[in-house]
Amino acid sequence: MLLKEIQVGIDVGGTFTDAVLLEDNRIVEKAKIATQAENVLGTVLHALDELKVYHKVVTRITVSTTLITNAILQQRLPQVDLLLFPGSGMSLKALKWPVPYQVLKGELDYRGREVSSPDELEWRRLLNRYQEFPGSKVAIVGKFSHRNSLHEENLAFYLQKHCPDLEICLGHEWGQANFYRRSLTTYLNLACEEVYQTFAHQLQQAVFQKGSSAKIHVLKADGGVVPLQTLRPVESIYSGPAASILGALAQTNTGPDFDSETDQSFVVVDIGGTTTDIGLILSGEPLMSAYGAKIGDFSTLVRTLAVRSIAAGGDSTILSEGDGFRIETYRRGPAYCLGGPAPTPTDAMCYLNLIPFGDRLKAEQGLVQLLPECKRDSFNLERLSNEILARFADNIAQAIESIIREWREEPAYKVWEVLHPHEEQNMFIEVSGGGAPGLVKALSMRLNSPVKIGDFPEVSNAIGAALARPTFSCTLHLDTFMKRYQIEETGLQGEWLGSRKPHKEIEEFLREIAEKSARDQGIELKKPKIQPFDYFPIVKGYQTVGQIIQGSLIVSPGVRGRLKS
Amino acid sequence: MKRSGIVFFPAFDWSLGDTHPEREERLLYTQEQLFEEGVMELPQVKQYSPGLASLHEVLRTQALFPHPDKHDLAAHLIAAGCAIVLGDAWAHNEIQNGFALVRPPGHHSGATVLGNRGFCTINNEAILINHLRTKYGIKKIAVVDTDVHHGDGTQDIFFHDPNVLFISLHQDGRTLYPGSGFTHEKGGPNAWDTTLNIPLPPGTGDEGIHYVLENWVLPRVRDFKPDLIINSAGQDNHFTDPLAAMNVTARGYGKITELIRPDLAVLEGGYSIETALPYVNLAIFLALAGEDYHQVIEPQKPQRQLLNFQELKRYIKELKINNKQANPHWTTREEKSLPGGKWAFIPHSVYYDTDGIQEIRQDRVRMCEHCGGTVLIESQNAYAGEKFALIRIPFNACKECRQAGEDLWGAFIGRKTSVLFQDQVHDSIQLWNVQEGVRNF
Repeated sequence: MLLKEIQVGIDVGGTFTDAVLLEDNRIVEKAKIATQAENVLGTVLHALDELKVYHKVVTRITVSTTLITNAILQQRLPQVDLLLFPGSGMSLKALKWPVPYQVLKGELDYRGREVSSPDELEWRRLLNRYQEFPGSKVAIVGKFSHRNSLHEENLAFYLQKHCPDLEICLGHEWGQANFYRRSLTTYLNLACEEVYQTFAHQLQQAVFQKGSSAKIHVLKADGGVVPLQTLRPVESIYSGPAASILGALAQTNTGPDFDSETDQSFVVVDIGGTTTDIGLILSGEPLMSAYGAKIGDFSTLVRTLAVRSIAAGGDSTILSEGDGFRIETYRRGPAYCLGGPAPTPTDAMCYLNLIPFGDRLKAEQGLVQLLPECKRDSFNLERLSNEILARFADNIAQAIESIIREWREEPAYKVWEVLHPHEEQNMFIEVSGGGAPGLVKALSMRLNSPVKIGDFPEVSNAIGAALARPTFSCTLHLDTFMKRYQIEETGLQGEWLGSRKPHKEIEEFLREIAEKSARDQGIELKKPKIQPFDYFPIVKGYQTVGQIIQGSLIVSPGVRGRLKS
Repeated sequence: MKRSGIVFFPAFDWSLGDTHPEREERLLYTQEQLFEEGVMELPQVKQYSPGLASLHEVLRTQALFPHPDKHDLAAHLIAAGCAIVLGDAWAHNEIQNGFALVRPPGHHSGATVLGNRGFCTINNEAILINHLRTKYGIKKIAVVDTDVHHGDGTQDIFFHDPNVLFISLHQDGRTLYPGSGFTHEKGGPNAWDTTLNIPLPPGTGDEGIHYVLENWVLPRVRDFKPDLIINSAGQDNHFTDPLAAMNVTARGYGKITELIRPDLAVLEGGYSIETALPYVNLAIFLALAGEDYHQVIEPQKPQRQLLNFQELKRYIKELKINNKQANPHWTTREEKSLPGGKWAFIPHSVYYDTDGIQEIRQDRVRMCEHCGGTVLIESQNAYAGEKFALIRIPFNACKECRQAGEDLWGAFIGRKTSVLFQDQVHDSIQLWNVQEGVRNF
């Protein structure tokens, strides 16, 4: 008999934590508990208990947490020294740096050639400082280091030789172009390392001590999962919205074949307590953002799904304003109909009998506070409730329009791309989250498209986490004239020994690097796609002397089969 | 700080030939530089996605003979479309200025198009200008062409247009392609002195070109009171350019941009793709966005000799005198075959270097005190023998000129291989040819 696949998904949200235990994609246990904001580990362990995880042979536990997001937003990060080799070009002051930095001499150009070398005297002065603070955290980032890590590596080697306890991170490991974002990403990742490692270690210990041998995975902003140990901490920001998008994907109906991939296109709307996340699924694949994630004042290179978050949810406080009302961006507690202190959109849903929970009488008491005394009758209460939901739906609709615009207006750099633009698609809306049933009507009226709702809207995020697949991406940049290659995602750099004008062998070269990199990260490559290579002949004096070749191998975000009902 | 738009379209899958200067690699290093610097991150910058110009937009401004279908246009339509995207953003006041950092270029492409010349098939700036006039009623436009080559195509398109001031600074046509752009080329009879050519000697350098801008170009632009200033931003004045010898630096280009203060800049030529373009493009865009460009420093240093500044000043003084004294060079006659009024006659020829075509042109414009005057251009492909005609009723045409244009259109159908009728007043474009008859575009 084949062993059952038992998958656990936990999504630690700002207000609530959702958790599910699936057996062969069927829900067996589910739980929704309050998040302890100051104790993410405790919350996760509590959720595991609720699911009775330790009575089963669990294959895999996937966690999506706000641990790193909160650490960054609440500025609870340790000090990191940011050392930069900015060379010439745009003034550093043109962009806003949320953290201090120190500028060093030494410059590379866009193909990684050295323009000027670093200054030894500067390095010696640095060393003097670090001999006083030998446990410092140091992020070293050079402009164009993604083309040549020479200056970064040399400085790290020099410092480490004399101060072996320094914790050093290098920028080229975030190998996409963008010096500014690379600097801030390197900084953040190093700053988050400690808080993440502590969490990861304790979680692993706790699960192990209870006798479970389940593999623990973490969900990333791009909707992929990686083993707990190989995660780069900063990549776990915004995993919540990713979980909701995957949760919706796992609940789309593909007919009797639960393993088949959906090719549908739709908008995902996940209504939380104080935020609503909106994402896009195109022909069965979640849309990736063309830009890195931005968190607080930090613009990063972290790959992320394209998501819009609006500051309104089922528990958002509603205040009266003049003759009308205003939906605030904060929550004062649960909805009035659930014993909370202030009226909320959930009360409007409850009053209109759209959701199966809440005390309707209390909802009425809450909502009536928003009406002038002369208008406190059932006619006006119903109108007010509808208006609240219509306004909420309108906020969501605007975010949907904005994300669709972003997709349509993605930059294009090739003739082919401009001649084959994204086609209009008939999209439906899939809503999830506790308040999902309450918004179906208002959304379908505002957007004039069908609105669907999954079978388990209240634990949709946990389902997404439980069923998320690994994502993978390996992008090669090869300059056969310089005889050098670089890999964007890992910062791997090496010497190219092949021909100046390679052709077929380049695909094999990329595949080998990708497979090794996947092994190192503990990721199984399932259905990798190689995207068409771009070839740029390098010409000198009317002779083709080499090529710059770019191409990538990717595994898009997705889910392991559908959820069975 | 200025709200600046950018469309970056490097056409990474298009070239005019494997080792042609206009190839995939041309803007690759510019992309590396701009993306690594993070210019798109600047809070005042908005990146726009490329557009695609319609044939209507093109034919409103240029006559593609024998038929638009005979030209390979895809990449060119995108380059022009990108300029239009930024033009619309500017007209809607989303941005204060913008940079269409696109290839292929366009400023050698003129009123009639028989093929590709100087890497250009259609004229991005001219199409943009006429789009903005049609759609938003923009009245007066100044074009400052800072490519090292004479912007002969743009000059040709607006030669009879009193509402477009065209100024080209370039290396003297006696020492560089396309061999035109002399001080006596000052515009047609109804647009006299709205074309200004400033042929500069090799070795002019930063200081020299800034002097010319401040002491000649900018006063002329100010006097013209344009509603819109366009910069044809070629980058081959750079000191590393393999063909030209103007000795301008990337920072020099930044200052040029700061001085001209264009509403819209459009990339033209510049083929020193490694040593000039990444730096010049960066400096131009920083200057547009109101950021400091003084730290943009190329790894190389200028090697060629600079012209003595005093000598250059004397040279410019002489040019000014030549320009002032230059006389009209057309003949006027009343021709029985043409509608009423006096017509100026300007015969000339155009060589298409990329495609090896010689075009013989007979241009006529109706002399008019009220408008730019209806234009009739008869064109002949010297080798193939095919004959074409372009009839243009200009923006703001007077009643008589409109009638003259209608009469010419009626008279010319059937007499050539193809005939294009550009009614810019009504934004109506019709093409007649033997196979299709009359077709609206």
